Amino acid sequence: MTQRMCAVLALLLLAGCASDPVPEAQLQVTEAALVQARAVGAGAEQAELGQAEAGLEAARQAAGREENRQARMLAERAELDARLAEAQALTAKNRAQIAELRSELRRLRTQLGEQP
Amino acid sequence: MTTSLKHVSLWLTSLALLAGCAAHGTPPPALTQARSSYQQLAADSAVLASAPKDVMRAGDSLERAERLASYWGSAEDVEHYAYLSQRYSAIAREHSVLTAEQQQLARLQLERERLQLALREARLIGVQQQGLWLEEQMLSLATTETERGLVMSLGDVLFDADRAELKGAANRTVLKLFQFLQLNPQRTVRIEGYTDNRGLADDNLALSSARAQAVADVLIDLGIAPERIKVQGHGAAFPVAANASSRGRAQNRRVEIVFSDEQGRLAPPRE
Repeated sequence: MTQRMCAVLALLLLAGCASDPVPEAQLQVTEAALVQARAVGAGAEQAELGQAEAGLEAARQAAGREENRQARMLAERAELDARLAEAQALTAKNRAQIAELRSELRRLRTQLGEQP
Repeated sequence: MTTSLKHVSLWLTSLALLAGCAAHGTPPPALTQARSSYQQLAADSAVLASAPKDVMRAGDSLERAERLASYWGSAEDVEHYAYLSQRYSAIAREHSVLTAEQQQLARLQLERERLQLALREARLIGVQQQGLWLEEQMLSLATTETERGLVMSLGDVLFDADRAELKGAANRTVLKLFQFLQLNPQRTVRIEGYTDNRGLADDNLALSSARAQAVADVLIDLGIAPERIKVQGHGAAFPVAANASSRGRAQNRRVEIVFSDEQGRLAPPRE
């Protein structure tokens, strides 16, 4: 009885490591998120992009060491880092457009004011 | 197998009991942060509307972190899901900011269109006023105040000898006249043709009328109402210079535009 219980416990503990496959899909998803973030203009000035890059690298290394659970978690976090960087880049782009438009509107208003 | 399952469940129960103790301790800061981020998010209907999926994921991850926090030995997982939850919250917030600012951008673009239109109109008016000023300049230079009112003389250069067709170069002058009439819709004109004294009087009369009519036709073609234009041929009558010299004769071959006053009143025609 006790032996059995011990065996189950040992199995369970082992399972913790063994049941995690290499997170191939997640690594690809993270990679894609990074590509997408860069594509919309996320740059090195964003801490989140750096975090995503470092996270993906760490995830790959963990996968190389067969620490699959760790690799998956790192990759998941890196994916969201990249998606946040993407969202921030989009917001920044839009904000720059707003600023440009505002100064254009100021110019237009000045020109209109100068009309007789 | 069923017995082993029983044992597992027993073991899990004891874990849960242990966790019960753990949960009484202070929750990890990542979880606290994730909680407050999510609470702020869930209270913001704009975020909910613009990024429902990310809000939902933030909630799911938080729930997972909360559940794991009640288990012993899962600190790493709690940290992980709390991190994910916070990231989803941040992404949702960013999306909602973007949505709001995109709407702002669209409003500003509309405003720009409106202003550009207004500016174009203002410039057009400016050009017209400028044109008016130029026409007034032109008239004051080219016209003489006579007993017939304002008279503008279009010289011989408008027509070839014995021809009634306007020459190409003349069209610019007529175009100016057209602009002036367009800008002064109350004014009317009488277009009078004159010739030198060579040739038969009847031919000269016909030629002078045809020349005046040629100018009138262009104005009418351009869109001036025919009732604003009167046409009269005077032949060799009323010379402005002696017909003895070719220079004098050239001066006498002319079309004169007599302008009405601003109320459209024309001086009576010459007899």
